[in-house]
Amino acid sequence: MPLLRESVTLPIERNILWTGPFATEPAEAAWAAEAIFFIRALKVEGKPGSTLAQVQISPDGMHWCDEGTTFPLPAVDDTVTFGRVSHFGGWLRLVGEMPPGAALTVIVYLVLKG
Amino acid sequence: MNEETHSPLRADPHLSRFEPLERILYYDDFDDGLHGWTQLIGNYEHSLDSVLPDYADLRQPQLSNLSMWDTGTAGSAMGTYALKLATRPKAGGLSVGIKRQTYRKLTRLQFECYLCFKPEATELRLSATDVRAFGVLFDIQGGYRDPRARWMPHLRYLNALDGQRAGKWQTKPETRTFHTIGSSGETVSHFHLGPEGWVDVPGGDQIVCYNEIATKMNWSYLKIGLDLEARQFTGFQCDEQIYGPEGMHVISLDPMPNLFNMLNVAFWVETDVDKRAFLYVDSCLLSAEAV
Repeated sequence: MPLLRESVTLPIERNILWTGPFATEPAEAAWAAEAIFFIRALKVEGKPGSTLAQVQISPDGMHWCDEGTTFPLPAVDDTVTFGRVSHFGGWLRLVGEMPPGAALTVIVYLVLKG
Repeated sequence: MNEETHSPLRADPHLSRFEPLERILYYDDFDDGLHGWTQLIGNYEHSLDSVLPDYADLRQPQLSNLSMWDTGTAGSAMGTYALKLATRPKAGGLSVGIKRQTYRKLTRLQFECYLCFKPEATELRLSATDVRAFGVLFDIQGGYRDPRARWMPHLRYLNALDGQRAGKWQTKPETRTFHTIGSSGETVSHFHLGPEGWVDVPGGDQIVCYNEIATKMNWSYLKIGLDLEARQFTGFQCDEQIYGPEGMHVISLDPMPNLFNMLNVAFWVETDVDKRAFLYVDSCLLSAEAV
């Protein structure tokens, strides 16, 4: 019997409206070796344009720095974008800023595996 | 007592910390995953907007190694990882983790766990009144050919309220009004974790070990007994304090069409201030007198 890897999907935001600056709640990921953030647009209002979601890491869940991974926000209702991350330590979150006049209602999943 | 079979050297140190009834229904040590503990969401139909507002954002459980900004990783009581509930940093915010099973005999049940609660360590001070409450609830209904009432025993430790130390155990005799969800007539919802209507357990005061700063964790033992036949608490124990069952109430409801034999257990934590509240569970065990 092979030892299967642990895998967890966390819906870290669900039916949340993003306007202006946004940041997801801190997620603990110390057990995992790889992660994918998915952003699913439930509703797109205005023009998100080239807005990017940015992955951040933290030593303590309170102080954050950019990890370097960025990916676009979904621009059409019910579409999904994603960003892959690995070698991230113990904590992960997403930050970004919607442009003026744009709003996005999202589900954000963090899929962890290790 | 047979000294050879009861020698501590022959015991399983993970289970030896518990006092299970005759049959173990589940034992969950979060060192190897979530074991079915998941996020609680309100019922919906057609759109997530139909979820009752209080149910919309109950934060989900995750796996934590208890890493602190000042002292690094503590790990859990018996390993590295614990189940962690974390609220948003908004007073009254809740996080709930639920495990859903069914039962097959109306018998006595016992739920045991090792847990600790803390606020997020965003301030360099005691912060002992920042977590409002944590608790354990059950959601149970009779069998298909025995349509007994649904009942929901809730037990919470009210740590603090509006900045004042409370330090007492409470139960909840009533839920809120049922609401129809959507248009099919098939779905209803009621919110049962509101701040209203909690009743003090007689003699149920206790200061559960918090320690002296927000990053020092002590694991407390909690044991809760239920009688499925009588639909009552049979009492509970936290560390060395033993309480009840006198004066312990449960929510009683009419049986519902899709919940026969349901046996759900949930943990929750609530913050009293605009700061995240955390509940960590090292491990838990549900046992029964018979199956």
